[in-house]
Amino acid sequence: MTRRFLILLIALALLSPVFGVWLANLINYHEPLDVAADLINQAANRTVLNDTRYQMNWTPFIDYTVPGLPDWAGYIASAFIGLAIYFLLYTALMRWRRVKRIG
Amino acid sequence: MLMKTYFLDPVNVILVHIPDGYLDPISAGVTWAVMLAYGYYAYRRSELQRHMELAISLAAAIFIAQMLNWPIPGGTSLHLVCGALAAILLGPFVAFFVLLLVLLVQTLVFHDGGITTLGANVINMGVMAPLVGYAAYKALRPRVGVFWSAFAAGWASITVAGIAAGLEIGLSPWFPYGWTISVPVMAGWHALLGLVEGAITGFVALYLSKRTPEYVRL
Repeated sequence: MTRRFLILLIALALLSPVFGVWLANLINYHEPLDVAADLINQAANRTVLNDTRYQMNWTPFIDYTVPGLPDWAGYIASAFIGLAIYFLLYTALMRWRRVKRIG
Repeated sequence: MLMKTYFLDPVNVILVHIPDGYLDPISAGVTWAVMLAYGYYAYRRSELQRHMELAISLAAAIFIAQMLNWPIPGGTSLHLVCGALAAILLGPFVAFFVLLLVLLVQTLVFHDGGITTLGANVINMGVMAPLVGYAAYKALRPRVGVFWSAFAAGWASITVAGIAAGLEIGLSPWFPYGWTISVPVMAGWHALLGLVEGAITGFVALYLSKRTPEYVRL
């Protein structure tokens, strides 16, 4: 990961709520398959398809949100949480390679 | 009828991460088994160890690229998948692990896509998209150059991934409309939307092949 590459990723992470939050709100975004489930359930007059995301949730960061933060800040924080995971993985790999080379 | 109308609306058939609750246990089990078997095969066929650094870096870039949703008037949006681009840069088997890394973080940390449907999502975006994109790029590259071959690769990868998603959803007994409806509609609209993925894949491949050709495997 070069410095330029990291700067590009950070810039895109800071820019991401423009697309993922602001423009999404502007067009009143809904997940396509959620809309499909609503229409199918409505047509059948019973629950045929059930999106169990909220009943079986395992993460506080569901849908790129962070509890207590406004959507745009949560989206940026989510982008950095994701990047941090890859960065830690990358660093661990580099350290493991170095140890292996020395050992 | 309502569902057919829904499917015929272009804004409602964009490839997304399939959430939990959409695939029955058998479909979920089969797609997981296919994902694991292909993963083992891809690991044996690829030089993953050699490309690990680039694979993780590319996964980070694709993760961010997929957060940049392009809104489409009508209430939905599309984002890049980058399966073809990953295959052009690292080959289809390492690309599988790149997309797997992206989907694992999206699913486990942000609940974007389900755990039961992870197999299906990986097949669409990590198996079908890179394999088709790689084949298209390899076949066309000597004839039409980098941009147009990468364009075709990006377009074909999204179209085939859309067909695969249509097939998975259509074959699941929990989805009340069969694959004869879901596959043609998904294929048609993804072929149209694939033009965006194709254009961006073309520009990025052309840029990288000129600026950093060492990163372009093909």
